[in-house]
Amino acid sequence: MKSILTIVCCFLFVSISHSQDRYLTKSGAINFYSKAPMEDITADNNQVLSIVDAANGKMAISILMKSFLFEKALMQEHFNENYVESDKYPKATFKGDILNFDAITETPSQQKVKGMLTIHGVSKEITIDANFTKTEDAILVDGNFIIEVDDYNIEIPAVVAKNIAKKIKVSFDFNHKPYKK
Amino acid sequence: MNKKKIISTILILGILGAFIAYKMYNKPHVDVAETAADISIAANTILTEFSTDETTANAKYLDKIVAVKGAISAIKTEKGKGIITLKTNDDFGSILCHLSEVSTQKISDLKEGQTITVKGICTGFLMDVVLVKSEIIN
Repeated sequence: MKSILTIVCCFLFVSISHSQDRYLTKSGAINFYSKAPMEDITADNNQVLSIVDAANGKMAISILMKSFLFEKALMQEHFNENYVESDKYPKATFKGDILNFDAITETPSQQKVKGMLTIHGVSKEITIDANFTKTEDAILVDGNFIIEVDDYNIEIPAVVAKNIAKKIKVSFDFNHKPYKK
Repeated sequence: MNKKKIISTILILGILGAFIAYKMYNKPHVDVAETAADISIAANTILTEFSTDETTANAKYLDKIVAVKGAISAIKTEKGKGIITLKTNDDFGSILCHLSEVSTQKISDLKEGQTITVKGICTGFLMDVVLVKSEIIN
């Protein structure tokens, strides 16, 4: 009887410790900002899925392109139909590693994240800096980086070259919680 | 006289063109509250469709106003915006509804377990089916 109890406890312990390895958010925020002579364009996406595996420091992010909401309906339409072609490529993804994940503590620190960013069907390796904070019940990540639209085969017609920047600033803010299920 | 006519015609066309361009530029977003749902469906059904064949489901639901009926499994507010999760039979997937500002005011009346219908624009499927700009119908 005792041994059964021990086994059950062991299983419970294993499953608990396992479930605490993964941290997840379904409502991560990504904003992008294009600064051009004619106009500044910004869009927000608050439905980003991001998972951090605390066991090995891996990070995976999925983004729905149609979840980017713009101030003007026309901008959103052009973004989806002409530039990122979100019917063809509905998602952008990032898969990579947090370098030096073990150094992350309750005190915010800057760490490098390296991995593949896929937008518009084009994958490219990037390394960016992000701010990390790890507490008992959350992993917070935020930061920003620049992407060049040319790198992802996104063509901007000459007519609107003054309206849309070639370099887009992407900001992100994720509040990962332990995943239990 | 003739010259004047031509100039005024060009001027009128120019103003008209500018007006149309301005109107198009400022075209408003779809008003989810005022627009009838394109598709009404149960939470379980839409999730099953997305998890079995995402490409087909994308073609069917993306950008559409979808009214989803289901039981509430979680209610929360992030950055002042309400988020309602609708339960499905799937262990991992659910329907994630991000509410409009107007509907966010109504969430204090809701309880977990209550069955409601939420109408929103479907943007796709990650772990869950995502609806944005959602309105609570009942």
